Amino acid sequence: MLSILTTRVASRNVASPVGMAAARLIRRGYHENIVEHYENPRNVGSLDKNDKSVGTGLVGAPACGDVMKLQIKVDENGIITESKFKTFGCGSAIASSSVATEWVKGKSVDEVLSIKNSDIASHLKLPPVKLHCSMLAEDAIKAAVKDWKEKSAAGVKVDVKQEKVAA
Amino acid sequence: MQCLFIWIVSCSAAHAFTVRNEIRFRNSARAASTATASLGERTRGDFPILQRTVTDQETPVIYLDSGATSQKPQEVLDVLQSYYERTNSNVHRGAHTLSREATSAYEAARDKVAHFVHAFSRNEIVFTSGATEAINLVAQSYGRANLVAGDEIVLTVAEHHANFVPWQLLAQEKNLKLKFVHLDPATGGIDVNELEGYLNEKTKIVAFQHVSNVLACINPVKEIVQKVRSHAPNAAIVLDACQSLPHMVVDVQDLGVDFLAASGHKMCGPTGIGFLWGKEQLLNEMPPWKSGGEMIDQVTLESVTFQAAPGRFEAGTPAIAQAIGLGAAIDYLQKIGMKNIELYEHELAEYLYEQLQTVPGLTLLGPTDPKKRAALCAFYHESIHPSDLSTFLDMDGIAVRAGHHCCQPLHAELGIPHSARASCYFYNTKEDIDALIASLKRTVDFFAGLNNAADEADDDFVPFI
Repeated sequence: MLSILTTRVASRNVASPVGMAAARLIRRGYHENIVEHYENPRNVGSLDKNDKSVGTGLVGAPACGDVMKLQIKVDENGIITESKFKTFGCGSAIASSSVATEWVKGKSVDEVLSIKNSDIASHLKLPPVKLHCSMLAEDAIKAAVKDWKEKSAAGVKVDVKQEKVAA
Repeated sequence: MQCLFIWIVSCSAAHAFTVRNEIRFRNSARAASTATASLGERTRGDFPILQRTVTDQETPVIYLDSGATSQKPQEVLDVLQSYYERTNSNVHRGAHTLSREATSAYEAARDKVAHFVHAFSRNEIVFTSGATEAINLVAQSYGRANLVAGDEIVLTVAEHHANFVPWQLLAQEKNLKLKFVHLDPATGGIDVNELEGYLNEKTKIVAFQHVSNVLACINPVKEIVQKVRSHAPNAAIVLDACQSLPHMVVDVQDLGVDFLAASGHKMCGPTGIGFLWGKEQLLNEMPPWKSGGEMIDQVTLESVTFQAAPGRFEAGTPAIAQAIGLGAAIDYLQKIGMKNIELYEHELAEYLYEQLQTVPGLTLLGPTDPKKRAALCAFYHESIHPSDLSTFLDMDGIAVRAGHHCCQPLHAELGIPHSARASCYFYNTKEDIDALIASLKRTVDFFAGLNNAADEADDDFVPFI
């Protein structure tokens, strides 16, 4: 099944009517990386948003009506130990947010801010029209970090920078 | 080495041979079908953009998004180019030849539009940047001057945001009451009886669309007008003709409405142009909207007087080239004949609706009688996101739209967050629809082969709509 996704039609360079018909028949479809995350999304679920160590990013794309919720659980060192997501959207949106939860784990809250949507997009081989889905995932990460930082500022003290200097 | 050379030469010869054969095949196929060539087959060659390919396809793009904007025939493109090359000048009051020619062409375009909608007079055509601006003009000029707190506006839940939001804002500003007509499950269109029930002497605006850009229903304008005149004598009727005027004969005298808004870019005209048709008497009673040059009569330090309609509502340098382009589009459409376009699109409408029913898992929106539909269809799949549908169609070189199509209240009413939509124009063919169906079926198969993680029920996770 997956082989259909990556097969390039040998007859693509032949401009005969038969060749054209064959070119139409072979599906390009979504790249297997997207399919993998669509069939087996990582870290679907929710964390307790009232927990002080949890940051919740809820972002939406009103144009397509999609919503992503991405949550991070951060330890006392500012490292993300757990991440969950729920996405209402197309296959590319689900895959983008699934990848995002994988990539944030084990990183510090400042490090994950440098995750770029273009990294997600190229990892998934997103079709050009779907780049905005990876942008939404990048926004979701930033929103989750921002939420956690605001909650931390209000109570729990974690100074990531000082930790690094000490080490 | 010689063998390799010969092989390469023979390969490229073979390639050239097959390319030539392919062109011959296409030409002969076209020649064979000329006798019974459809309107789509006969006209698509007029549209240069319909020859281009997308997403490394070998055949041209199949454009099924004319509801969003139409493509432009070479004739219109030539007129636009020619205007800038030979005529461009600011209009009205010019003292030189170029200005005179530009003015003449611009005002000729106004005449063409007036004739196209069978207006009573050319003074009833106000050029705007599109239908959205036209409706805003009515809301802000007519609306502000004539409505007071407690007055009522009747809209439908199916309206495009352009015929919804301006009235919402007016209602907020002036403390008005909005009433919404819902859908009639029997017809798939709006519930005309419910509309009648809302009408009274406090009704000042009744605004609705002629054809829905999502449902494809064709609303009974004359019947609605008659009800409004009987039960709401103080109401002005505003018709959104964006999805009707490009596709059928629309005669404002016959329909009996007070205002009509239309987009030039949806009827083979350039972007940035549309118009408001309004009864001359109403227009002349309306205060200016945008102000500045062109729309004035006399300006002193202390005072200003204004032109009569339509000049009163055309402040600043107009979209001259675009208006002339719209005139050329009207010429092009009238050469084909609006009746011919309408008849052909009835065929497409039926074919599109019937064929979409063969795709497993699809729900189609709007009237179930294909004879009562415009040539567009919005739909959704039981499990595949509309945006995935549109992406996969795009990968096959087919252009459709996914989202809420500027009709969020309608989607809320239907209980769905969004849909995909294929919309045809007279340059589409049944083969285009066949390609759409084949691609949809393949997409459905692709996703059917995947095991999607089941959605966990999560009460606090509400999608944006």
